[in-house]
Amino acid sequence: MPPARPSASRRRTVRPTTYRHRASHPARYLIPAFAVLGVFFFVPTIFNFVYALTDWSSFKSEIGFVGLRNLEDLVSSGTLLTSLRITLVYAVLVAVFQNLFGLLLALLLERDTRINRFARVMFFIPVVMSALAVGYVFQAILKPDGAANSILGVVLGQEVTIPWLGDTTWTLVVVALIHSWKWMGLSMLIYLAGLKTISEDVLEAARLDGASSWTAFRDIRFPLLAPALTFNVATALLGSMNGFDIAQATTGGGPARTTELLNIFIFRTFGQGLFAQATTMSLVLFVVVVALALPVIRTLRKREEVL
Amino acid sequence: MKKYLTITTAVVAVGLLAAGCSDPTAGGGGAGGEPAAWPAQDTDLDGTTLTIWAAQNSNTVPEAVVAGFEELTGAEVEVVTIPDPYEQGIQTKVATGDMPDLAFWQPTASMLTALNAPTNLQPLDGAPWVDSYSDGLADITGSLDGTQYAALITSPAVEGVYYNKEVFAEHGIAEIPTDWNTFLEVARALKAEGQTPFYEMGEDLWATQWWIHVLLADAAKDGLWERVNTGEEKFTDPTILGAIETYESLIDEGLFNEDIKTATFEDQGDALLAGDAAMVVQVTSFFGQLQAKADSAELDEKIGFFPISPSGNVGTFIPDQSNALVAFKTGDADREAAARQLLTYWLGDGYADFVADRDTISLQDGVPTPDSVPQALLDVHASLGESVGSMQVLAVANPDMYISLADMVQGTMTPEEVAQETQDQFAQLARAQGVEGF
Repeated sequence: MPPARPSASRRRTVRPTTYRHRASHPARYLIPAFAVLGVFFFVPTIFNFVYALTDWSSFKSEIGFVGLRNLEDLVSSGTLLTSLRITLVYAVLVAVFQNLFGLLLALLLERDTRINRFARVMFFIPVVMSALAVGYVFQAILKPDGAANSILGVVLGQEVTIPWLGDTTWTLVVVALIHSWKWMGLSMLIYLAGLKTISEDVLEAARLDGASSWTAFRDIRFPLLAPALTFNVATALLGSMNGFDIAQATTGGGPARTTELLNIFIFRTFGQGLFAQATTMSLVLFVVVVALALPVIRTLRKREEVL
Repeated sequence: MKKYLTITTAVVAVGLLAAGCSDPTAGGGGAGGEPAAWPAQDTDLDGTTLTIWAAQNSNTVPEAVVAGFEELTGAEVEVVTIPDPYEQGIQTKVATGDMPDLAFWQPTASMLTALNAPTNLQPLDGAPWVDSYSDGLADITGSLDGTQYAALITSPAVEGVYYNKEVFAEHGIAEIPTDWNTFLEVARALKAEGQTPFYEMGEDLWATQWWIHVLLADAAKDGLWERVNTGEEKFTDPTILGAIETYESLIDEGLFNEDIKTATFEDQGDALLAGDAAMVVQVTSFFGQLQAKADSAELDEKIGFFPISPSGNVGTFIPDQSNALVAFKTGDADREAAARQLLTYWLGDGYADFVADRDTISLQDGVPTPDSVPQALLDVHASLGESVGSMQVLAVANPDMYISLADMVQGTMTPEEVAQETQDQFAQLARAQGVEGF
């Protein structure tokens, strides 16, 4: 929240010069921006609330108001909670993996050598790739007769047919790893930027005091990376709460719906023609994301205050 | 100034809200009563591009017809493959206002309802091809509330047992099972001799429901689905739950392939052809898969079909999306007419070529079925008269029972949970459709 003080004080003690300066940009100039914002952000969000209270479906053209019935149905059937649990586990896994990989890469590629610059580009390429393409490529690699098993087979000298995407417990972790692989380049970039802001003097002082590189990292560099960590954890966590494409392309929610993220469930419900129910679910997702985002971001911000 | 801005924004938002608060796919609906004109098959269509949506297992079906039609009329026809799950993909696209000119579609009442046929589909009443159908086929399926919306192009699928004749012969099984008991006797005898009796595709999910339909065939003849439709009987009641439990017990007994959890549709075809499994409960599109892998002579030699139900040899019929096409109300009158023209050609002058190209059974007396059609398909078509409709045909809504069943195959759900989840979903869909009692 930006502080509201300037506008309040302006109202009381307006100085002519400032006023003239402001008047050269009439507020109506903001209308186009607000119109775009309204059409593409506010209205859809409001509709998300409105349709959740209706019986909108593909079966008929009329839309009637039904109150909270959709929500009651959802809560009483266990599927929503199962999907929500899977989504949360997935989001936490992605947040951990993506930050771990990103941070390791950043530390590894910190120095500006030619090889490092090349490697950074390589690791950033998955970020700009289509998520569906990534998903389908990994699906092909991880098939029981896919490349991963063939390579393992050659290394171990025997035939390997691990169904990487067919395990009801571990496939979720595999998909989370794929998601993290795709996005770790972005985390790396942000950590790199964070590392660059750390003053060389501080590190030199630490070295002179006899700190090992691990101590320097643990006590100086990592705490100073707090803003980067806040951003990376928040975006990874919240981005993967809204995950769909990678899971849909690799497993389609299977096996036995153990990787059915809430968005896949929503997609399936929408596909059945139950649009209002699907809208209600996306509303639930919205609420959960907000409920999760506020405490996480507040906690991480607290860490930054010492800086 | 700020105040004006707020007011303007609010007015715009409310206005948009009011304007938007109706189904985006709700068309004008003015074309209701007037009969559609049926253009001659060879009307010039230079510069017209038609789009047909097809599934992965039906995208080669229109090839010959499309080629013939393009040459005859100068139109351009694009066949677009919509990935599986096909029906879901199409419903989602149509709901957001994206529609093709024609699409393959399951011509059952529940699936036509799911597309909101009265709003989105062109009525095909009075089409020129209706009289060409052989006896009894013109109105077997494809209509909703008395209006025809789908054009049947191939013989509707029948759920039954595809078996490997060589495996049967090898194990000395001369008689085809005549009811459920003999069917299971054969399976157990095969297992005792080390042969995998049944093959199921747990990974691709959708075939899991065939076992339940087949087990419910007698009950369906008895009006099971009418009772389910009124809420009088539920999926959790003994009849349907019992069928689910039977299916699970057969899997537990070890009568299915060991890799049931990871096997796919493709694996299933390969396994039956290779004789790795003796029998597969499937629909006609499975035979299409076999045709892609072997020629008719080999199929005649190897693959047979018999319908099965608890009490005898009653098949369960389920037209699927590869059997029929629907034409969409795209709002472009010329293209709508061209779509009707393509259907007229498909089931008119183009039908003989189509039947010959697809090696399939002709639905018209005037067009002979090619000699090369494998015997198994003729058997399937012959069983159609005796068969009973599946859940999709007779129930008002089509819940995703196959997904829950696949979960059961994976071992994460019990039969009770499958029945309960299916019932909940059925009630939800029925209520959305405005069915009384839900």
